[in-house]
Amino acid sequence: MRAESSQLRRLPVHWVLLAPALLFVAAMALFPLGYSLLLSFREWKLARRSSPGDFVGFSNYINLLTDDPEFFEALRVTGVFITADVLLTLVVALGAALLLQKTGRLNTLARTMLILPFVMSPALIGISFRFFLNAEYGVVHHLIGLLIPAMKDTVWLADATLSMAAIVASDVWHWAPYMTLVILGGLASIPTETQEAARIDGASGFQVFRDITWPQLLPVVAVVAVLKTVFALKAFDTIYTLTNGGPGNSTKTLAYFVYEQGFSYYDMGYAAAAAYLLTAALLVMAGFYLRLAFAKNR
Amino acid sequence: MPQPPKPVTNKPALIDGYRAPVNEQVAIWLRQMLVFVGISAIALPIAWITITAFKFPRDVYSLDTALIFTPTLENLQTVFDHPWNLGSKILNSFAVALGTVLLAIPMATMAAYAFSRFDFRFKQSIFMLVIASQFIPAAVVVLPYFLLFKQLGMLDTRSALVLINMSIVLPYAVWMMKGFIDAVPIEIEESAMVDGASRARVLWEIVVPAALPGIITAAVFSFTLTWNEFLFALIISKQDALTLPIGLIGFRTERGDLWELMAAGGILITAPMFLISLLVQKQFIQSLTAGSVR
Repeated sequence: MRAESSQLRRLPVHWVLLAPALLFVAAMALFPLGYSLLLSFREWKLARRSSPGDFVGFSNYINLLTDDPEFFEALRVTGVFITADVLLTLVVALGAALLLQKTGRLNTLARTMLILPFVMSPALIGISFRFFLNAEYGVVHHLIGLLIPAMKDTVWLADATLSMAAIVASDVWHWAPYMTLVILGGLASIPTETQEAARIDGASGFQVFRDITWPQLLPVVAVVAVLKTVFALKAFDTIYTLTNGGPGNSTKTLAYFVYEQGFSYYDMGYAAAAAYLLTAALLVMAGFYLRLAFAKNR
Repeated sequence: MPQPPKPVTNKPALIDGYRAPVNEQVAIWLRQMLVFVGISAIALPIAWITITAFKFPRDVYSLDTALIFTPTLENLQTVFDHPWNLGSKILNSFAVALGTVLLAIPMATMAAYAFSRFDFRFKQSIFMLVIASQFIPAAVVVLPYFLLFKQLGMLDTRSALVLINMSIVLPYAVWMMKGFIDAVPIEIEESAMVDGASRARVLWEIVVPAALPGIITAAVFSFTLTWNEFLFALIISKQDALTLPIGLIGFRTERGDLWELMAAGGILITAPMFLISLLVQKQFIQSLTAGSVR
């Protein structure tokens, strides 16, 4: 918007209008960033003392990177979770959006329902999945046992791989419908003329999708992938309520690891250092995706 | 003789005309089936939790009576009794969410208006930084907030939760509302200012009514995020400021998980969100998706 009259532009009102929101957001973002950084160079076991302890240089970081198998396990778990979660969400959302693109009564109903999982509490979703997978009376456990007799006696949440699958499933259930809406929005903004012309010229549905729809949809898909990756790195609620990071450490992501170091072991400096490494992972990931989206785009 | 061109519809079968109609019908039927599967995947878990809330425990812990059971309202009453006290948790959740919305939305409206209507140095960068603040992982933020509110003696207070949630929803709300205000024509404002109206009057009497759908949408979105917020509520609240999502995990007891009570609590936490989101659905979806598409 640059159509302001000269009168609108002369007044510095905009800073007055911006100040409350900007100052608040800046304070609430910069304070923890700075404080965490300070903490990450200190030794501070909250159980033993109530104020930050000695400056210990990089030793928290060094301990994390050289002497903590649990941290690397968390790193691996985070990688597996993000890869599976983002890919599955993308595939489900893209498929559903292409399916729901056309009008029709059933499709309208489906589109209305897409908002429901997104406004549900992730904590409740985690609890519900735990209930569904319960080995004695869980309905999903039971149904899968009927479909695949070999899995009749499987205790889902006692198995590392299946627990991870359950976490991914619950997160996809929460997010894929919303991402479907986003992709539907992207599909709606693509002009239909080229697609129709290609169809008249004899292109198959798949060819139209691959050569015309997909390239135009790619920026939206990239945005969805970035958003989902960021939220996957933040994922905590469903892990806490569904598996508690278990069995063992098999579903303990970096976010959960930080929480545990800070609030179960009260090791503030160590937790802060881990949190900063998580931020670094996030920045790398965001940069990677942005470059990917940017390179394909222009 | 070539046929006259048929009107273009989004049904390709009508255009090429060579495709066997049977194939097309099978394809349509398959699509419908898939949509139906998708609808079931969303609806069945919700339905299952809903019926569980109306079951006696004996029917919850047996699949023989999964669908045929004597319904009861007992669970929905029990969750309000000691020691669950979901009543006070609903009150806390409601107070925190409402407080967050009432404080954040006016701030966000003013900021969004400034971003939409003014040109100033570093405008794009400042806007991006506001959005980027949401990319900071909660894990980094959670320790300092805990220590800060501990220092201030504000642990286990609703005010602390309001402040934290404000910092979460403000960037989203600014982002969403800027889009809505961008779409409001600027001419009315200009003529009002030429007539001598003050900036505050223009904002209050022209912009706010015109952007009201957007303001409501951002408010609903912020309310939803705050209502469901889990991690910070888990860390900040102990007893007095417990919110509904934290109340839910209280049903995991030493005697095992009390699913029927969890389900009853689940209904209480979900029903208001479903109601509000369906009420403002069209606007809600538009603004939720617009930002990512543009």
